[in-house]
Amino acid sequence: MPDIPIERHTLPNGLRVVLSQDNRAPIVAVDLWYDVGSKHEKPGKTGFAHLFEHLMFQGSAHVAKGEHFSLIQAAGGTGNASTWFDRTNYFEALPSHELELALWLESDRLASLLPAITQEKLDNQREVVKNERRWSYDNQPYGSWPEQMHALIYPPEHPYHHQPIGSMEDLDAASLDDVRQFFATWYAPNNAVLTVAGDFDQAAALALIERHFGPIPANPALPAGPDVSIAPIIGQELREERRDRVPLPRTYLAYRMPVFGSQGFDELEVAVDLLGAGRASRLYAALVRDQQVAQDVVVFAFPLVGGATIFTCWATARPEVEHQVVEEALLTEIQRLTDEGPAPAELERVRNLHAAGVESSLERISERADRLSMYTCLFDEPQRINAEVSRYAAVGGERVQAAMQATLRPDNRLVMTYLPAEQPDGEP
Amino acid sequence: MTIAINPLRPASGPPRDYRFPPFTRQRLANGLTVWLVPVEGSRLASVFLLADAGAAAEDEARGGVAALTAQLLVSGTQRLDAGAFAEATERLGIEMSSESSWDSSRAAFQALPDQLEPGMALLAEMLRAPRFDPGEFERLQAERLTDILQARADPGRLADESFIGYLYDADTPYHRPSAGLPETVEQLTVADVRAHHATHYAPGLAHLIVAGAFDPEAVVRAAERELGGWSGSGPGHRTFAPRPAANRRVVIVDRPGSVQTELRIGRIGIDRFNPHYFPALVESTLLGGMFWSRLQRRVREELGYTYGIRCGFDPRRAAGPFNTTTAVQTDVTASAIAEILALLEAAPQAPPEQDELEQARTFQVGVFPLRFEATVGIAAAIEPIAIYGLPDDYWQRYRAQIEAVDGTQAQRAAAELIRPDEMLVLAVGDATAIRDEVEALGIGPTQVVAAP
Repeated sequence: MPDIPIERHTLPNGLRVVLSQDNRAPIVAVDLWYDVGSKHEKPGKTGFAHLFEHLMFQGSAHVAKGEHFSLIQAAGGTGNASTWFDRTNYFEALPSHELELALWLESDRLASLLPAITQEKLDNQREVVKNERRWSYDNQPYGSWPEQMHALIYPPEHPYHHQPIGSMEDLDAASLDDVRQFFATWYAPNNAVLTVAGDFDQAAALALIERHFGPIPANPALPAGPDVSIAPIIGQELREERRDRVPLPRTYLAYRMPVFGSQGFDELEVAVDLLGAGRASRLYAALVRDQQVAQDVVVFAFPLVGGATIFTCWATARPEVEHQVVEEALLTEIQRLTDEGPAPAELERVRNLHAAGVESSLERISERADRLSMYTCLFDEPQRINAEVSRYAAVGGERVQAAMQATLRPDNRLVMTYLPAEQPDGEP
Repeated sequence: MTIAINPLRPASGPPRDYRFPPFTRQRLANGLTVWLVPVEGSRLASVFLLADAGAAAEDEARGGVAALTAQLLVSGTQRLDAGAFAEATERLGIEMSSESSWDSSRAAFQALPDQLEPGMALLAEMLRAPRFDPGEFERLQAERLTDILQARADPGRLADESFIGYLYDADTPYHRPSAGLPETVEQLTVADVRAHHATHYAPGLAHLIVAGAFDPEAVVRAAERELGGWSGSGPGHRTFAPRPAANRRVVIVDRPGSVQTELRIGRIGIDRFNPHYFPALVESTLLGGMFWSRLQRRVREELGYTYGIRCGFDPRRAAGPFNTTTAVQTDVTASAIAEILALLEAAPQAPPEQDELEQARTFQVGVFPLRFEATVGIAAAIEPIAIYGLPDDYWQRYRAQIEAVDGTQAQRAAAELIRPDEMLVLAVGDATAIRDEVEALGIGPTQVVAAP
C-alpha cells in the first residue's frame, strides 16, 4: 500500500498547502491547482480557461515574456500547465536547491499577471491555441470524438457540454477585458492548492511559501461554481453516425455514470479494467483476439466531479468488418459481464494490475504532487492518495455487477459511429 | 493589482550531489550478461531482456519480421496459449511487453517485489519456449497491416513515414519503419518468425537488466535457474552505411482538405558513436530540444504559426535522422518553411549566445536525476551501455561531458551536421493550397506526391 507523507497547512489568505517530503533524490516538484476550468466558462467564451492558461506564461510584473520557461530551464528544470473541465494546474520539477525559483515564479504571476498582458500577447497565444486545436482535433482522424460525445451526453446548458479547447469562433472573440475579469474572479489564493513534493525541509519550505504567497490577498467574493446538476441517466438510447476522413469505422459507446470520487465511480473503475485493461480483459480477449473483429479496444471513465461523468469504450473495426458487428460484440460482452459478474480470478487480476500501476505512478514526485493537489482541490482530502489501492480492492464482484446494471443500460447509452467518407460531415 | 514584493529572482540554494545508482554486471556461463541496479527506497522492480534481434538484424527482404516476432512472443508459450499467458502474467499484476526497435528487441515487465521471480519465470518461458501459434501470427500480421493503414490516415504519422522514405536511399534499411512496410509484412509467414527467433534470440549477445527493489543474490539465482539452460550466440545485427536519397529538395505529400501542414525538415544525422555526440546534443537542445528554444521562440511565440516545434537527433548504431518536427496552419506553410530554414542556416554561422548555451547545458544537467525517478528509467539507462558498449561509467561522466561543451564545439557540430542546403523538406498537407507558395520559395526541386 502506498504511504506517501502528507503535511497540510492553510495560509491566512486561504491558500491550501500540501507538503510531501522525500529526500532520496535532490529534486522537487511544485504543482499549483486552481479550482477553475472550462466548466466555469460563460456562454460564448468556450476555450477561455485554456487560452488564459497560455497567457500565464507571457510574463508578469517581474518576469518578462518567455522568462518563466527560460528561468526554469536555466535552473535545470521542466514545467508546463494543463486545463481541463474542472480545473487548471501549473507545475514545475527541478533541482531541489531551486525550489524558491518555482515558488517565486508561481507567486509573481498570481500576484501581478495583469500589468504584463498586452493585446499582442493575447493575439499571439490565440493563434498558438488555434493551432493546438487544429493539431489535436481538426486535423486528426476521429479527432472530433470527445467534442461530439460530450455534446451528446450533456445538454447544451450543462458546463460539460463543450470541450476545454473551445470553438474557433469563441477563441477569436476573446478580449483583454475577458482576461482581466477571469483573472480577478478565479485566480486567488483561496481558490488554489499548492503542493510541494520531493527534497526539502518542511519548515524552510513553508517559510518560503509564506514569504511568496502570504502577501497575496484572497478574493472575498469568490463566486460559487456553476450548476452541474443533471439526471443520472440519459433516459433514452442516443445514436449518432459521423462521416469523416477516417480509415476504418470506429464505434464508441458512452454512458452517464457517477462522478469521480464517489463509490459508484470506484465500482465502475473496476468494471473498466475488467473490460479493457490488459490482454486478458474481456473486450480485448473477445473482440481483438478471439473474434478478431476489432483492431483495438479502449475503455475508460472520465474523472469529472460535476453531476455525472462518462463511462466510455470504443473499438475500431478490422478491415472488411461491418461496424454493426463491432457494436454488437461490444454490447454482448458488456452485457455478459453485467449478467455474470466478475469471477474471483478476474478481480484478483485487475486488483494486482491496479496496485502495481499505482506504485509505478507514485514513483515520480511530479505525479505525487499532481495527485495531492487534485485530491485537495476536488475533495479537500489529500490523504486519498494513500487510499487508491484499498478503495479499489474493497470493491467486490457484487458491487461491480450492481453498478454495471444501474449504469450500462440501453436507456443510458450513446452509440456513436465514425464511418469512412471522402466528404466529412460539418460541425454539429 | 500589483503587489510590490520580491521583485528579484531568488538566489539558488546550495546544490546537493546526485549520483546515478551504482550497478554490477556479470556473465552467466551461457554468455547472458546480467546487469543489477539495486535502488534504495524503490518499491518496484523493472526487468528488461535485450536480444540482438532488432530490425537491424533481420533480413531486408523480410522487413518487419523482428517486430512481429517480438509481438508474437507475448501470444503464449508451448504450455500456455495466448489467453492463458495473458492471465498468468496479469494475475501477478504484470503487463508483459515485447517489442523491437532498430537496435534491439526488448522483452520487459515491472512488478512488485513479491511477483518478481514468478515474472522472471514467465519471461524466460516466453523467450525459450514460445508458442508461435499460426492463428495468432495471422492476427498480429493483419493488425500490423491495419496499423499501417491507420498511420497513413494520421497526418503526423504519415509525415514520419514519408520523411524517412524520401530521406534515405532505398538500399538503407532506415528508409522504412522498423516494423516494416506492407510489401514485406504481407509476405511474412510464421516460419519466418520461427527462423528469426531461432537465429537471433540467444543468450550470447543478450542482456538481462534488473533495476529497483530486489535481492541481488536471489535474482542471480533466478536468472541461472530460468535462463541458465538457454544456449546459442546468434550472428547479431548487420552493419550498413546510410546514404541519402538526394540533395536538398521539397516533397509535398498531398492530403486534400488538411487544415494544417505537418512539416519534417532534416537530413541524415549521427550514429551513437559520433565524436560530436555531446556538442550535437547541446546544439540541438538550444535549437529545438527544450521549451524555450530558438525554434519555439520564433515560430510559436513570435509568429503563432504552431502549437509546438522541436528538433533533435536520433542516434542509432548507424546514422539516424536529424529532424525538425512541427505542424503549422495551412496558409502559413511556405512562410514557416522559410523561417525554419533561416534558423537552421544561422546555426553553423556563429557560436550560440552564451546564455542560451548555458541554458541548454544546465537544462540537460538539471533534468538528469528526473530521468531516473522511476525504476523503469534506470533500467532504460542501462540499455545503451549494454547494447552499444558504452563505458560503465557513462552516466557518472555524462553531466561533465555536457558541461564541457563550449560554443566553438557546438558551432562545429552544427557546421558538420546541420546543413540546411542538404535538407529534405517534407510537407503533408493540402497540395493545392500550399504548392505554389512553397515552390516560389525556390529552395529546391519540388515534387507533389499522392499519399500512399
